[in-house]
Amino acid sequence: MFVPLAVGDMLGKLTLNAIPLDQPIPLIAGGVVILVVVAVIAWIVLRGHLPYLWREWITSVDHKRIGVMYVLLGLVMLLRGFIDAIMMRSQQALAFHAAGYLPPEHYDQVFSAHGTIMIFFAAMPLMIGLMNFVVPLQLGVRDVAFPTLNSTSFWLTATGALLVNISLVIGEFARTGWLPYPPLSEARYSPGVGVDYYLWALQISGVGTLLTGVNFVTTILKIRAPGMSYLRMPVFCWTALCANLLIVAAFPVLTATLAMLLLDRYLGFHFFTNSAGGNMMMFINLIWAWGHPEVYILVLPAFGVFSEVIPTFSGKPLFGYRSMVVATLFICLVSFLVWLHHFFTMGAGGDVNATFGIATSIIAVGTGVKIYNWMFTMYGGRIRFATPMLWSMGFLVTFTIGGMTGVLLAVPPADFQLHNSLFLVAHFHNVIIAGVLFAAFAGLTYWFPKAFGFRLHEGWGKAAFWFSLAGFYITFIPLYAVGLLGMTRRMQHYDLALWRPWVLAAGVGILVFMCALACQVIQLVVSIRRREELRDFTGDPWNGRSLEWSTASPPPAFNFAVLPNVQGEEPYWHIKRRAIETQQLTAEPDYQPIEMPRNSPTGFITAFFATVTGFALIWDIWWLVGVGLACAYAVFVWFAWRDVEEHQIPAEEVARIDRARRKAREEWLATEGHEEWLTSHGQGGTS
Amino acid sequence: MSNGTNEHNLDDVAPGFMDAADHSVRRGIQGYLIGLGLSAALTAISFYVVYTKLIWGPAIPTALVVLAVAQIGVHLVFFLHLTTAPDNTNNVLALAFGVLIVALIIGGSLWIMGRLNERMMPMNQATQMNRMPQMQR
Amino acid sequence: MSAVDTVSFRRTRDLDPYKLGHREAGEHGLATGHGEGGPASKRVIVGYGFWIFLLSDVVLFSCLFAAHAVLQTATAGGPSGRELFNPWSIAIETACLLASSFTCGLSAVATGVRSQIWTQLTLAITGLLGLAFLLLEAHDFAGMVAAGAGPTRSAFLSSLFAVVGCHGCHVTAGLLWLGTMMAQVFFKGFRPNILRRLLCFNLFWHVLDIIWVALFTIVYLIGEGR
Repeated sequence: MFVPLAVGDMLGKLTLNAIPLDQPIPLIAGGVVILVVVAVIAWIVLRGHLPYLWREWITSVDHKRIGVMYVLLGLVMLLRGFIDAIMMRSQQALAFHAAGYLPPEHYDQVFSAHGTIMIFFAAMPLMIGLMNFVVPLQLGVRDVAFPTLNSTSFWLTATGALLVNISLVIGEFARTGWLPYPPLSEARYSPGVGVDYYLWALQISGVGTLLTGVNFVTTILKIRAPGMSYLRMPVFCWTALCANLLIVAAFPVLTATLAMLLLDRYLGFHFFTNSAGGNMMMFINLIWAWGHPEVYILVLPAFGVFSEVIPTFSGKPLFGYRSMVVATLFICLVSFLVWLHHFFTMGAGGDVNATFGIATSIIAVGTGVKIYNWMFTMYGGRIRFATPMLWSMGFLVTFTIGGMTGVLLAVPPADFQLHNSLFLVAHFHNVIIAGVLFAAFAGLTYWFPKAFGFRLHEGWGKAAFWFSLAGFYITFIPLYAVGLLGMTRRMQHYDLALWRPWVLAAGVGILVFMCALACQVIQLVVSIRRREELRDFTGDPWNGRSLEWSTASPPPAFNFAVLPNVQGEEPYWHIKRRAIETQQLTAEPDYQPIEMPRNSPTGFITAFFATVTGFALIWDIWWLVGVGLACAYAVFVWFAWRDVEEHQIPAEEVARIDRARRKAREEWLATEGHEEWLTSHGQGGTS
Repeated sequence: MSNGTNEHNLDDVAPGFMDAADHSVRRGIQGYLIGLGLSAALTAISFYVVYTKLIWGPAIPTALVVLAVAQIGVHLVFFLHLTTAPDNTNNVLALAFGVLIVALIIGGSLWIMGRLNERMMPMNQATQMNRMPQMQR
Repeated sequence: MSAVDTVSFRRTRDLDPYKLGHREAGEHGLATGHGEGGPASKRVIVGYGFWIFLLSDVVLFSCLFAAHAVLQTATAGGPSGRELFNPWSIAIETACLLASSFTCGLSAVATGVRSQIWTQLTLAITGLLGLAFLLLEAHDFAGMVAAGAGPTRSAFLSSLFAVVGCHGCHVTAGLLWLGTMMAQVFFKGFRPNILRRLLCFNLFWHVLDIIWVALFTIVYLIGEGR
């Protein structure tokens, strides 16, 4: 430990040189971001919204609020990652026999940041946010198992995102790609702070994600409405369970592996160094033992979203519920048996490569079962082509293509040609965009009215979908072609005329994607402006089938006045059918007071000290590390010392809120519900 | 029926929990004493096996693993009160899942890294190749 | 919901306890703890959640073990296990940790009968034994570093220091937690949430000893043979 002798020492490695005054692009980008952030904060404070924000959102332990914040974080970081993508595509489009506008050391940071941000701070928060919002509602309960831990998980993820973004203006980011392979990532070859920013951001947010995994596994296995056996859970909850089991199993591997790299960099250990017996291949082995389950952590909730959207908009129950459950469990298990396919070319030999290649081909069977089930759900149904359904149908076609190229890559001899080419890049973007991104937008559009009480504008939503679909194909199909022609990934410039048309086509595709982004933004603005027209009065705007649609939009803090008694699959559908048949709601329940967990600033304050500690570790400011850790510990103890953990919502309040919901339902029953009854009894009017 | 709790008292038991109402203090202490005794014995045997010629040399690692697994079992039963009763099933399943993942990671890594190391060029040959003129820039 | 008498309950329970087949509408399954009776009790929720977290911690250790297994021959011309390990030291450390696991179990018994004195006493002894373990281990490490066999010497030593050190960090965190728990029990008594935290601490401490069993077997005893 250094004892600070002067101000210079007190700041470790941090000096004014860390600010990139000589590099226009990060300087301007950073400047714009800082301006926007300051403007937003100023608007909040000056308009007096801060107390509300602090009380209702920042210190909230309500899974619905936390879910919304996760999705917001994911969308903002999606934008940042997308800007990195624009820079990469435009650089490649320009850099034929030319230097382009991004020097190599900068371009390297751009593609590293793009991958890191998109996976850890866009895709993960989007999926975790949807799970946070929806799972307790679908299980018919009031909250997750550990609400304050949930809040802490979110804020720690935000800390990671913040650290990565700080690297834009103070210091630099890693130049190693989104997985920092040694020896390049070792202190000898990456002496700057870039890799340290990456490592600490991921370690901190990794803790948050692991805690989310523990939280949701416990919730789904131990906290469900009475009568909801395992085989009566919605498929989204099954996929959430399996994804969180994967989180619990895989994220410790990430933590351990990055910790070993940190020990190498900070304390001179020799896990992965070039000398003293270090084994660089072990990093790659361990990191992909995490990395493969990670992509299934991303894609399983995506599959779950489609398993909710497709039945609703086909007007039919999901086809093959049990086979869906089995397929999900199968994917969960086999995802731990395939990780070597990420490094066939590292040279483990024929028998190892063959084993993992076969396992990789087998895992496609699980997904294939799901695709068939979705198609059979649609077959014979009455399809409504609302925006969520469009995203689902786009997914079905596009993801299948991506999955098939994955099976191509699973063959080791083929992979020897295609490893680290743009074919690989096109494959994983194919499955992640069609899978995770389309699911995120489908889920967002589908559950937005539940969260905010009004739907998103359909027209702009459809436009965003079509531009995204077209943008995807125009950007990535050429990359498949140029990968087969030999172009490797991460090229800052290239000289082969053969590749040029394809790279240019991909550049055009990114422009189409930008139109999609514009449509999404416009959709949001227009929807907020016109929210009264788009208002969801009953809480069930899509004629849904699962329990979240039985609540008001947005649901009250306690979700359900009385926990529902589940008697079969698709419980809400049965409740609805019975109400329509009998033309009345069930009797008003006996309202009791409800105990809910109290809000707490613990999560936010812990994350604040985590940010301080992370920053101090990156810049070698050791005294600040000690202070940060001590303060974080103090926060735990302070939180543990509180005497009152819950607050009570009085029975009259519960009754008042629930009666309003029942009134809206009664009105619906008297009008549209009555129409449906007439139709189903052969006395229909206009249909 | 809006009762939130399980009426049949068929709820799971929390891992590691032993209801004080079910047994006397003496029984409780007894359980831990047996665990301590068995663990100490297994530890002593492990040390003995390593530092004497009781077991044939090449079999020592296997013997040690067996003793370790036995001792972990003793810990799980006597200290963590893991049983085979239905109310413990979920806890045992979770443990089994963890053990599976550990086996995959350790077993898989040993197999993969072993094969990779086998196929690495011997170091003197690699150094010679690096010194060749084509490899100089 | 139909009433369930004990005779038919036992019978149906034996035949198909998990009731994976379709069920009559409104009939709940009879298998234990599968959540069909509604949310589980707080103790079960907290205990199970912490158990899952501990299993994730075991996976973390398994990565360090895997690294050690791969690197155990990578001594880079430096000292190997046989030259470094002192069997008495390891034996005493093992004894300390095992004894502390035992006294931790005793504290669970004391908590079961709500005895403040015995709980504090047994927890204090647990802490002292844990501290003895840590001090001995730190002494060993200091000796190795002084003899030029520190973690920067070779990959084998790096992995050794990492896996043993990670365990030591967990013990340290456990002692911090133990101190906090003793204070909480003293000031707040045996409230339900304090009892749940004590349960979690017990789980944590016992699992640490389980990991130590694996550690001393694989690292020290098997390593002794290298």
